[in-house]
Amino acid sequence: MGLILKLALRTIGRRKGRMALIGGLVAFGTFLVVFGTTLATSAAAASREAIVRNFTGDFILYAERSRDIPSPFAFNTPLPAIPNLDSLEAALGGLPDVESWTAYAQNYGLIQVEREGRKLDLPFIFYAVEPSSFGKVFENVSLAEGSFFGARAEGKATPIADPAAAEKGVAISLFQNEQYLKNYGVSLEPGEQVTLLGITEGGVNSLRSRLVGTFEPRKYKSVFNYINFMDSASYATLYGFSGVEALPDSFNAGLAAAAGNEDAIFGLAEADFGSLDLGSLVAAPLSGATMVAVRLKEGADVDAVMAAALAKPGLGVKAARWDAASGFYAQIASALQAFIYVATALVFLVVALIFMNTLIINVVERTGEIGTMRALGSERSFVSGLFLAEALILNLGSALVAMILAGGAILAFGKGGLPLPETVSQFLIGGGPLALRAGVLPFIQAFAVVLLVSVLATIWPVRVATAITPLKAMSDR
Amino acid sequence: MNVVELTDVTKHYMLGETRVDALRGVSLGIEKGEFTAIAGPSGSGKSTMLHMFGCIDLPTSGKVVIDGTEVDRLSDQELTRYRRVKIGFIFQSFNLIPVLNVYENIEFPLLLRRDLSPADRRERVMRLVKEVGLEDRLRNKPNELSGGQRQRVAIARALVTEPAIVLADEPTANLDSATGIRIVELMRKINEEDKTTFIFSTHDAHIMREARRVVNILDGRIVGPAGPEGN
Repeated sequence: MGLILKLALRTIGRRKGRMALIGGLVAFGTFLVVFGTTLATSAAAASREAIVRNFTGDFILYAERSRDIPSPFAFNTPLPAIPNLDSLEAALGGLPDVESWTAYAQNYGLIQVEREGRKLDLPFIFYAVEPSSFGKVFENVSLAEGSFFGARAEGKATPIADPAAAEKGVAISLFQNEQYLKNYGVSLEPGEQVTLLGITEGGVNSLRSRLVGTFEPRKYKSVFNYINFMDSASYATLYGFSGVEALPDSFNAGLAAAAGNEDAIFGLAEADFGSLDLGSLVAAPLSGATMVAVRLKEGADVDAVMAAALAKPGLGVKAARWDAASGFYAQIASALQAFIYVATALVFLVVALIFMNTLIINVVERTGEIGTMRALGSERSFVSGLFLAEALILNLGSALVAMILAGGAILAFGKGGLPLPETVSQFLIGGGPLALRAGVLPFIQAFAVVLLVSVLATIWPVRVATAITPLKAMSDR
Repeated sequence: MNVVELTDVTKHYMLGETRVDALRGVSLGIEKGEFTAIAGPSGSGKSTMLHMFGCIDLPTSGKVVIDGTEVDRLSDQELTRYRRVKIGFIFQSFNLIPVLNVYENIEFPLLLRRDLSPADRRERVMRLVKEVGLEDRLRNKPNELSGGQRQRVAIARALVTEPAIVLADEPTANLDSATGIRIVELMRKINEEDKTTFIFSTHDAHIMREARRVVNILDGRIVGPAGPEGN
């Protein structure tokens, strides 16, 4: 073994130029595996975190009769309201792995303001949110001025402990306000009285309200700069989500008995249910929430909790995982990972071909030397071992250097994060630098790949080398 | 006692579509301690005969016995091991391993055997280094040596395993005549002192004169007197 190693090392040293080319390619491939895999896995983890913490939670529950999958990024078709929100929230409260949840809806409307005696209707799209729970699930709001429905903590939409203490109104993004200034010549001030106009099937409803504050989204600014917030109570009022809390028992029994029979249902109008006690009819706002985002405790199995939530009878909801609800955003990191794997595979294919070709050239050039060794009594296994040792020393040595460089780069970028072009960063992880998460697995993968490529690329040259007979030593003039 | 014995050996091979009869029924015996030249023009069959002696080629027919073993019946691996122990080679182009220095080149066959301690290996190598006069070149690589010095290294390497026979394939062909004569004189001195059997091929008349026995070969047949066992 010592002799083989000595010969291998010196042969590599003797063919410095050629070996440096191979070593460089192997090092490049190794760096790509370690750094690229770390980049891709870090991006995937950061993407998931950004989506889960800012826009979807671990999963979203939505009305069973909805035709579309909910997406916090889509406002084209408002989803139907969740039918039994109270029951649903009670069911979620009974699941041990659920950490928090919040109900919300997406819609669009107009903010009407008056400037110099002239009324201006400013369009806006918004989330209708529960001030008491939104901040428990999402952290995307960075407060700029005013409050977020009563929460005033710098840079964060903290949940309002007492729902009754929540401020009602709308909060708009700084970007939205800039757009108003640019397009309408109007800039809204936190605290300013406004009229909200809601467009419903029955016409346009209006509600006197106020701008509670301005904010900046932390993540996915390219989308969420355009999205604003309204408290859920204002939303229910504006869009007519209200009704009575309970009907008299006799009426409910009649409805149940007439179920499925149209004539019987109309016949109820003629029936005598006794005099309705109007005092017992309590008006109550309904939420109008179309989605409930659920956050789970660390390490909980998303699919298992989703299944447990859906197993509760009578809730009338279905569920979408965070990656389904986020549309193509979650797939960007997966695509990046696939791209890196394909690029790495191509690099190593090229490395393997060049390396194999170089080894064949080496074998041809060293025909006399190999023949001499065989004549002097070296067995075929000695020749195989020699070429394998040369391949492994060169490739694993180069890989080691590349791993050290990649490890250094990962550590260097781990603290401050890897700066990415803003457009890329927005789509990949919602914006900002990508913090690299060091792990052992990419190093093991790189080692395995280099080992495999070295051995595979050596098989054919070794076959050629071991076929050289001692006669070649005699005939090599 | 014959250390090499060929009995009615033939060897033919195909060169394209042409059959080449390199050896045509050769019988020859060489005794232990002989200093024998195989002489003949190019293509006469002397190299093929040397290949038979060196167990690096096998006959088409006939029997080859080296130091009591019928080698034409051995497998490739057995032949390799047999060469390692029984045969020393000196090549026309020296065939030193370029990445090893003088000491390491001479030591190389011993490292393949793995049956000697480092101290014994060193003792053997240094004895031969002195014998061939290369004490001051131990750390030099082959490309730092003259042709004569390289061939001295090759002689030491061939002798280091204390083989039954040393085969030299035109050992002086790549040397100037004066150096060539000195190399053959060195081989002969070792032959006389250690009784090592030397068989070398040559077509140089000056070198042939140094041999104690000359086997002439022409067109695959031994011609003229070839000694007591020859034809």
